[in-house]
Order: sequence, then structure tokens, then C-alpha cells
Amino acid sequence: MATKRKRAASGRKSATSATKVHRSARAAVSVATNPKRTTKERVAASADAPLAICEDDKSLQAMLEVLRNRNEPVKVRLAALQSIQAASFSVVAFESCRADYIATLRSIADDPDPEIRQRVLGILAREKDGFAQKKLLEGLENPEKALVPPEKALQLLGYDLKAEAYAAAREIVSKPPNEDARREALRILSADATAAPVFEKLLQDKDETAEIRQLSASALQALKPEKLQTYARKILMDASDFDEIKATSLTALTQFGDEEAVSKDEELKKQVDEMSTKASPKVKQSARRFMTKYSR
Amino acid sequence: MKIEIQINNSVSPSARFVSWAPSPCRVRITDPAGLTGSVVNVQLRSVSAASSGAVAFRRTTGAFTDTLTLPVPINGTSVSFFTAGKFGRPSSSNGDVRIEARVGTALGGSVTVMVRVRKNANNLTPGERDRFVAAFAQLNNQGTGRFTDFRDMHTQVSSPQAHGRAGFLPWHRAYLLDLERELQAIDPSVALPYWRFDRPSPNLFTLEFMGVSNALGTVRFSPTNPLQFWRTDGVQGINRRPFFNTAAAPPGLLTEAQTIALGTQFAAFRTMEGNPHGTAHVSFGGSISQIPTAARDPLFFLLHCNVDRLWAKWQRQNGRFNPAVAASYDTNPSNPIGHRLPDTMWPWNGVTGPPRPPTAPGGPMASSPCASAPGPQPRVENSLDYQGTINALSRMGFDYDDVTFA
Repeated sequence: MATKRKRAASGRKSATSATKVHRSARAAVSVATNPKRTTKERVAASADAPLAICEDDKSLQAMLEVLRNRNEPVKVRLAALQSIQAASFSVVAFESCRADYIATLRSIADDPDPEIRQRVLGILAREKDGFAQKKLLEGLENPEKALVPPEKALQLLGYDLKAEAYAAAREIVSKPPNEDARREALRILSADATAAPVFEKLLQDKDETAEIRQLSASALQALKPEKLQTYARKILMDASDFDEIKATSLTALTQFGDEEAVSKDEELKKQVDEMSTKASPKVKQSARRFMTKYSR
Repeated sequence: MKIEIQINNSVSPSARFVSWAPSPCRVRITDPAGLTGSVVNVQLRSVSAASSGAVAFRRTTGAFTDTLTLPVPINGTSVSFFTAGKFGRPSSSNGDVRIEARVGTALGGSVTVMVRVRKNANNLTPGERDRFVAAFAQLNNQGTGRFTDFRDMHTQVSSPQAHGRAGFLPWHRAYLLDLERELQAIDPSVALPYWRFDRPSPNLFTLEFMGVSNALGTVRFSPTNPLQFWRTDGVQGINRRPFFNTAAAPPGLLTEAQTIALGTQFAAFRTMEGNPHGTAHVSFGGSISQIPTAARDPLFFLLHCNVDRLWAKWQRQNGRFNPAVAASYDTNPSNPIGHRLPDTMWPWNGVTGPPRPPTAPGGPMASSPCASAPGPQPRVENSLDYQGTINALSRMGFDYDDVTFA
């Protein structure tokens, strides 16, 4: 009986304490949504708003209104977006708000502010939202309609890979508008089994940047690991190749290499052993890890 | 003379890991040659460099001491004792502490152990960092390894099991422990580090560790970092765009002190799911900013490790380890299945179909050679007493560098 009483009292305390937290969250929403407060105050208050957004439809609607209102300062709108996004982690409580949230995001996907467009399309793309995917593909096909730069569109399409994304990526790789777009297109193609020859070529091309060759090694390791092992060996035996790609090759062989084959490759081990004392610091470090694994 | 020391009551070297919570141990004479009488006094002590881990001992209960002398029968009967890491003296590599057993001055046996605890990621040594990323990359094995199960556990469909209600903290504690044990199966010297998101962590956002994001949010890695081969859901790489200077802490997050001050009752404390937890997630754009994609980013696990550390610290400060004490948990009757104390937790329980998700990836909770709890199918109530404060058998074998045992 005494225990029961104790528990009931403790439960009341718990409710009081939780209520205080909720009350302060609701106060934060009223500051965040009040146009008479300064931008700084509204941004700061938004951080404390997520709890109220989850528990109270009025608070959610007020924050969504700030997000939708193109006359509000961008900083305030971004803070509101971030706050609603944080609330979405409380998934059970947020479930009833989800439809309104998604509808609002779609309605501002063409916002005049590029940062808002980018963030909103990012959220929708991670939800595998068909509306956003369509807009992103349209922008790649017709740059005049693009809501975000091609590299961002490709990156976001990568959250839910479909045939249309591969087609768009191939197109970009053949005629890249810039280096970032080419790299993001290649990342998409790294999931396409038919693209292995592209990565074989790029990995061997010493005129390519270290970043593209690194990406190609990673792609090839996933698509055709036996090919990467062959090329990695070739790179390591080639005195004229660059340190960055040598370190990547060593990391690939140490981490994912065919242990039996590499252990028996005395010529390669001898070469790497030399690197472990004579190469640049990065290569030395990777060579030592390789030797620790394979010289046992 | 030969003396056998068993750590975590096991002769296996794989069990020679301790934390701040006491590990049950045994000592026995396996070869009495040269000994006289039926019982000898065996002295246990730990030997290590000043910068390495250190352990202490006790017979049953009470204070730990640097040395412990036990009367041990020479007929091979085991004598029990406890060992634990000395708070503030964690190991930085496997076996950097030696426990010696002597009779007089004669050394009868020794074992090396590691004081393995979860540390602030910003303070890891290069060796600790490199072992962690190598084990993580291996677990993922470019999207084909065991990590895929962990990726599939944390999705939109499964999120009601893990978010938005009282079970948020227990579920994620089990999730992290399962992952950590899988990492330790690859490299037993690894413990999951935490991202202390209320403090600057410049050593975390580097090419050698969690990577450096470009303006677009594509994360780059050093060619020596195996995370350069990271792949999830078929796609190469990680998208993460910080909305803050990664040399500083993200703005707007509750600090550790503010989080712990949310209330002394679990119902108040668990509001930390919004701020700092949710706020830390959305301090980035990219995968980590939303539930369906968050587990694509290895940083997610360091973020959650800090969330769990905050809970552990709050538990220690308020004595909230006992599920029978109302303030330790939110026992609101409206809690859905998976969020009530006696409920088993998905996916470890293998239960599928409404109200549980349609599949249960990953099977039972990974076992550990160092601790038997929380068992293959943990219940919500099993997650609270992680150090074995209430019941020694509840000890899960993990600890945080800044959360004491007592």
C-alpha cells in the first residue's frame, strides 16, 4: 500500500515536471512565430519549440505558417523548418502532423530562396517523395526549370535510385556541366552494375583527380572487387603513380582484399614492405597496416 | 607453481575486458609444485604504465583496492573476487593492463586485460580512432556486411518501435549495444565512441575520422580511411551538410547540464528526444537529419552514443536504475507495445506483423563473452540497470568514461 502511494505521488511529480517542459516549449513557439520579436530571438526560440510542435496542433500550424510565409525573414523560416524537422523524430506524436508537413514542403519547393529550396527538396527526397523526384529529374532534363543545381539534384536522387536517375547520371557523365555534377553522377552510377568499365577507365587514368580515382576504386570494389584487386596491385607496382591513389589501393587491399591471394603475393608484399619505410607519410601508414595484416 | 586467473569468470582471452562496473573473476592454483600447506595467500595486483588503463580489486562488496590478498586452496578450488577499471584510467589499447598473481615474491600467473569504456570521440588516440573506423568499415563491408541489418532496423516503418514514446532511450541503448558487440567481434579493443555534441569536436570531423563535408554535403575521407568505401542502400559515400562550423558545437542544443536538469523523473527527462537529440540530428542536412536515412551515416551512432551517455549520467545522478521505482521510467498506461517495461523489444524478439513491423532484421541481440545481460531478446525493463547496480547479473559490459559506477 505504502509503495502504491509512493508511486502515485511520484507519478504526479513526473506529470508536473513534464508539464513545465511542455509549457516552456509552447512559450518558445509563441516567440518563434511572433513577427514583432527580433530575428535572433525567433531563431533562438525555435530550438526549444519541437516538443510543443509534437503535442499541440496549434503550435505545429503556427510554425508551418512561418515556414510557408515568403515575407518572413529566411533565417526565421529556416529555423522553423529545422524545428519541425527535429519534432518529426518523435514519430508517434508527429504522425498526425506528417501530411500537413509534407504538403507544406511541396508547396514551397519552388521558393525564391535557394537554401530553402535545397533543404525542402532534400527532406522530401529522403522521404522518397515522388513529387520531389519528378521536379529534380525535370530540372536535370531542362536546366531552365531546375530548382537546384544539377549536382544537388543528382545527390538527392541518390536517396531512391531508379532507372531514370541512372539515365540522367549517364547523360551528365558524358556532358558534365561542372566537376561537382560529374562526381555526383558517378556516385549514382557506382550502384549500376553496367558502369564497371567506366570506373576501370577512370581508376587507371593518371590525369583524373585523386577524388575521382578514389571514388572509382570504391565503386569498383563494390561492382567488381576482383578487378579492383588487380588494378590496386598494378597501381602499387607503378613507381610513377600518385601517393593518394596508392594509399587508397593499400586501404582497399588491407580492408577488403582476398586474404589468401594477397598473402601469397610475395612480389607485392616486398614492394609494400619497401613503401612502409620509404614512401610519403600517408603511404607509409597504409603500407604498415597492410604489412601488419599480411606479413603474419 | 601455476596460478590461473579468470576474468569475467572465463579462461578465454576474449573475456578479458572490464569497465567501471565490477567484473566477477576467479583465481585458482593449477599447479601447486613448490607450495606447502593446504592454503596459500595469493596477492593480486595490476601493473601498467601511467598512461595506460588500471584496475582495482575487491573480495565481495565494499571499496576496491590496488592489491588484494586471497587465501587460495592449493587443491585447485577457485576463489572468487571482483575487478573493475579504476575510474579515470581507461585503456587505450588491448591488454595494456597486466594482472599478476603472486605467492610471496614468486609470480604464479598473469593475464593482460583492457579497461574498455566508451570515450569522447574527440579525445580518442589515433590508434583508437583507426581501429574504430576499420571495424565499422568491415562491419558494413560496403553495404554487404552485417551492418545492413542495423541499417534496416532504423527506418520509417520501424520507427514507432523506437521513437516518440518512453521506449526511445531503452530501444536505442539496446541498438547501440548490439552494434558495439558486433564491432567487438571484429576487433575486441573497440568501444563505441560518443559525439559530445554540446562541445566543439574538431577531431571528429576530420578526413581521418568521420570525414569532412564539401559545400554540397558530400563527405570526403583520407585515402588511409576505410570509410572512403562506405556504401549503404547501394549508393557510395555519405551525405552530410553541417549547418554549423564543425570546429565548434552546433547552436541551439541543450547542454549536458541543461539536459540532466530537465527533471528528476524519467517522464520529464525523456523530452530530451526533441532537444538535444532531435536538434543534434537536424544540425545537419543529409542522411542523418531524418529517421528513414539517419542510420546510413556512421556519425549517427556516435550521436546516439552521446544521447545514451546523457541518460546514463542522469540515471547515476538521480539513482534511476531500478525499473520498480516509478521515477526511473515513464509507465504511462497509454504507452504502446514496445514501450512498456515488461515488453520485449523489436527486432530482437523476432516478432513481426502489426503492431510490430513486417520484418525483424538481425536476429537476437549479439552475445558478449564479458557479460550475459541483457540476453538475446531484451525487454524494456532490462535496459535500465546497465551497470548491474541493482542486480549484478544485469551488467551489460559497457560504461562511459565520465559516468562512475558508484
